[in-house]
Amino acid sequence: MMKISLDPRTKLFMIFAVSFIVMVNAVTPFEWGIRIAVTLIPILLMITEGKYASAFRFSLLYAAALILLKFFISSESTGFISAFLVGYCGIVAQFMPAMITAWYVIRTTKIGEFMSAMQKMHVPDGISISLAVVMRFFPTIKEEYGSICDAMKMRGISFGGGKVTKMIEYRMIPLLFSCVSIGEELSAAAVTRGLGAPVKRSSPYELRMKAADIITIAVFTVFTGLFITVKYIR
Amino acid sequence: MNDNKLKAKDFITVGIFTALLFVVEFACGMLGFIHPYIVASYVVMIPLVGSIPMMLFYTKIEKFGMITIMSVLLAIIMFVTGMGWLGAPLIIAAGVIADLIAKKSNYKSMKAIALSHGVFCLWVCANYFPVIVTSESYRKSLIDGGYSMEYCDNLFRAINSKTIIFLLILCFVFGVIGAYVGKSVVKKHFEKAGIV
Repeated sequence: MMKISLDPRTKLFMIFAVSFIVMVNAVTPFEWGIRIAVTLIPILLMITEGKYASAFRFSLLYAAALILLKFFISSESTGFISAFLVGYCGIVAQFMPAMITAWYVIRTTKIGEFMSAMQKMHVPDGISISLAVVMRFFPTIKEEYGSICDAMKMRGISFGGGKVTKMIEYRMIPLLFSCVSIGEELSAAAVTRGLGAPVKRSSPYELRMKAADIITIAVFTVFTGLFITVKYIR
Repeated sequence: MNDNKLKAKDFITVGIFTALLFVVEFACGMLGFIHPYIVASYVVMIPLVGSIPMMLFYTKIEKFGMITIMSVLLAIIMFVTGMGWLGAPLIIAAGVIADLIAKKSNYKSMKAIALSHGVFCLWVCANYFPVIVTSESYRKSLIDGGYSMEYCDNLFRAINSKTIIFLLILCFVFGVIGAYVGKSVVKKHFEKAGIV
């Protein structure tokens, strides 16, 4: 399939539009329609980038939450199980679109591209570097956490002897250790590449708004506009 | 060090610890969907658990601005993950004040650090703002959105304009306590190992 690579600025706009739409609660079917539409776009984009497995997983999870929420749960349902179910379906339906978009953006944006876009938008270095690190770091934390859990399993420690404090301590401390050392490596690497030098950095990525960018921005603007109109002005 | 400008290394440190803090927040946030009272107890949980990375972060701060940048990043992340923009000014204000308090002692004295961590923890409360400011419409939208009546009643009993002051104080107190807890953990594990 043809690969559509969007400009990082378009992606940022996408994140903002989606999180705005997600934040305001949808009530009528039309509003839900918009919400689902804006969720589908990142999923489609993911497919064009060849990330079939995660696109499938996300859409399955989202669909399941929506169906459960729509047909099996009402405001009359009480009790622990349903509260639990409502909670998790609620969280999925509420935050999934934003999460899918964020995931798509993080996975498909190279840090170099991101930095170059931030520079073009005149974002201060402090914010852009830190934000780039945050973006880069979530997968790392997940990976490190996985290795810690594996190591604990191998030694037969599962819940830290049933103590909450131990449970937190056993996971947190090794995680901090590895994150700190990764951070040191990262800053060494960054300094080698001239980050923080007092000159304007050049970038190998030429950023230009292409047709795909303009279309995406237009689509999201229309969706956001529609949503606001339906919600507040009508 | 007389050079007061932040370097790339500092920005990277900020990024890493923001990511860690967000992971803590997110893990605690997941629990909140079990029962609304847990949502209110974020003010205890997040300062206590988050204090461990925060205290390690404080040992790395030497210059003004790092906590401020962290609060800006938190505000951005909160916005992107759908917590709303209402809390953003509070988050950033808390960050700046915390930064100023800690700066007074040059980021060295434990007392100032504890106080500053207490103020910084107020960002947790910022996430309640949509619940309070727009309580009526928020409640309606929650019920329409499929939450059960029971959940909503409990949520609004736990969080409203009267309890927010109490929650803020609680948040601050546990921030300060958390600072000492976190410090002892950092001491136990990191200072002995020579990381800090």
